Amino acid sequence: MPEAALNIEDLAKRYPTGAGKSTLIHCTTGLAQPTGGSIHVFGHDATGNYGEARQAVGLAPQEPNLDWFLTVAETLDYHAGYFGMPKRERAARTVELLETFSLTEKRDERTRTLSGGMKRRLILARAMMHRPRLLILDEPTAGVDVELRLELWHYVQRINQEGTTILLTTHYLEEAEQLCDRIAFINGGQIVGEGTSSELSQRYGVASLEDAYLALVGRKELSRSHAEVVTP
Amino acid sequence: MSAAQIRFATLWRREVNRFMKIKKQTLGAPLLETFLYIMVFGAALGSRIKHLHGIDYILFVIPGLIMMAFSTNAFANNSSSILQQKFQGAIQDQLSSPASPLELLLAFSLGGFMRGLMVAVITFCISVILVGLPVDHVLVLIPSLALVGFFFAQLGVLTGVRAEQFDDVSFVQTFVLQPLIFLGGVFYSAALLPQPFETLTRFNPIYYMINLVRYGFVGFSEVSIALSLLALTAATAALFLVNLRLFSHGYKLRA
Repeated sequence: MPEAALNIEDLAKRYPTGAGKSTLIHCTTGLAQPTGGSIHVFGHDATGNYGEARQAVGLAPQEPNLDWFLTVAETLDYHAGYFGMPKRERAARTVELLETFSLTEKRDERTRTLSGGMKRRLILARAMMHRPRLLILDEPTAGVDVELRLELWHYVQRINQEGTTILLTTHYLEEAEQLCDRIAFINGGQIVGEGTSSELSQRYGVASLEDAYLALVGRKELSRSHAEVVTP
Repeated sequence: MSAAQIRFATLWRREVNRFMKIKKQTLGAPLLETFLYIMVFGAALGSRIKHLHGIDYILFVIPGLIMMAFSTNAFANNSSSILQQKFQGAIQDQLSSPASPLELLLAFSLGGFMRGLMVAVITFCISVILVGLPVDHVLVLIPSLALVGFFFAQLGVLTGVRAEQFDDVSFVQTFVLQPLIFLGGVFYSAALLPQPFETLTRFNPIYYMINLVRYGFVGFSEVSIALSLLALTAATAALFLVNLRLFSHGYKLRA
C-alpha cells in the first residue's frame, strides 16, 4: 500500500480481492515489511520499535497456521509465552479460553487431528490468549458452520463491549452490518469509503450495504433489489 | 522472570519440545547410526588397522564421530524445524510476537544446538564405557565442540530460512555436508592420502573442526589449534551476523 493512515477503533473492512487488506494486516502484525510510510497501533510504532504495538495486537488469520507438533493446550500456552505472560497466568487463561471455545475435551490432542471448526476455534482462542487491545479477525467465519458463526458473533460482541477493539474482515456483508460500528471499503490499497452502514448506503444512494459495495465495484446489475419477481 | 526472559524461554522450549516429541527420529536414529559407525570402524576395521599416529584406531575415529553427530543434528534440527514451520504457517505466531530478530535467531539456534549436544554427550558417555575414550585437553575440547555445534546450528538456520521445499534442505545435507564430513578425515589421517587429495583436504573446513575435537579428546592434531579455533570463531560469528541480518529483514520469513 502506498500510504495507509488508519485510525482503528472499531472498523470493518469490505474489499474486492487483492485490494490490500492482507497487506494492511500483515504490516500491522509484523508479517510483512512495509515499503514506506508508518503504522501506529494505539500510538505505538508497529514497524520500528514494535514491542508495544505487537503486544497490543492479537491476530486470527484466515488460513489455519497451527503448529502440528503442539497439543491444543500447548498452542495457547506457547503463544502466551511468546508475549511474556507468566506461567501461572498462562495456565489460568488457557483453562478459561478452552472453556469459552468448547475445547476443554480436546486440550491434550495434537492440533493436526482437529476438525476444521475446532481449528478455527483454537486460532481465535490463541489470538485472545495475551488479552490484546486490538483483535484482528481475518475472515473468521469463512467456511465455518452456522453454530460456530453465531457463537463467534456473540463472543466478538461481548469482548468488544468489554473494551477490545475489533478489526474484522469478512465476505459476509450481513456480518459487517451486524457486528461493526464502522466499515471501510479498501480498493487498490486505498480506503475509498468509510463510515457506518447507513452512511455508506446513503453515500452511494442505495438501500443496503451490499448495494453500496456493488456500486463501488461497478456491478449494480447484481443488486437483489433489481431482481424481478418471477411468478408461475 | 521478566517478559523478555519468558518470551525467550518459551521460544527455546518450543524448539526442544519439537525434537523431544519425535525423539525416536531425532535422538534414537542418530545414536544408532553413530553406534553402527563405532562397530564397523572400531570392531571390524579397527582389528586390522590397530594404530594411527600411535593412537588406537577406534580412539582416533570416535572424536570425529562425536563431532559429526553434533554437527549433523544441529544442522538437521534447525533446517527442518524452520522449513516445517514455514510450510505450516506456524512461524507467523512467533514472527507476530514482540520477539526481536535476535531472540528468534538465538532460540532457533539453541534448539538444534541442544539436540546436537544431547546426541554428542550420549555418544561420549557410551564411548567412555565401551573403549575408555580419554579427554586430554578439556579447555580446547569444550570451546571447540561449542563452536562446531553453534556453527552448524547457524548453517541449519540459514538453510531453513532460504529453503522453499524439503529438497533444498536434503540437497545441502546430502551433496554438501556429507561429502565434506566424510572427506574431512573422520575415518583417516590426511597425511595418509596421496597428492593432490592431501592438499585438497586442507581446503575442507570440516578437516580443521575434526582436528580440533580430536586434539581435545586424544591430544593429536595435524593442524594449528590456535589458528583453527580463531578461524572457526570468525566463521561462526560471520554466519551468525548473516542470519541476524536475514531475520532483521524478514528474508523469506515475512512477506
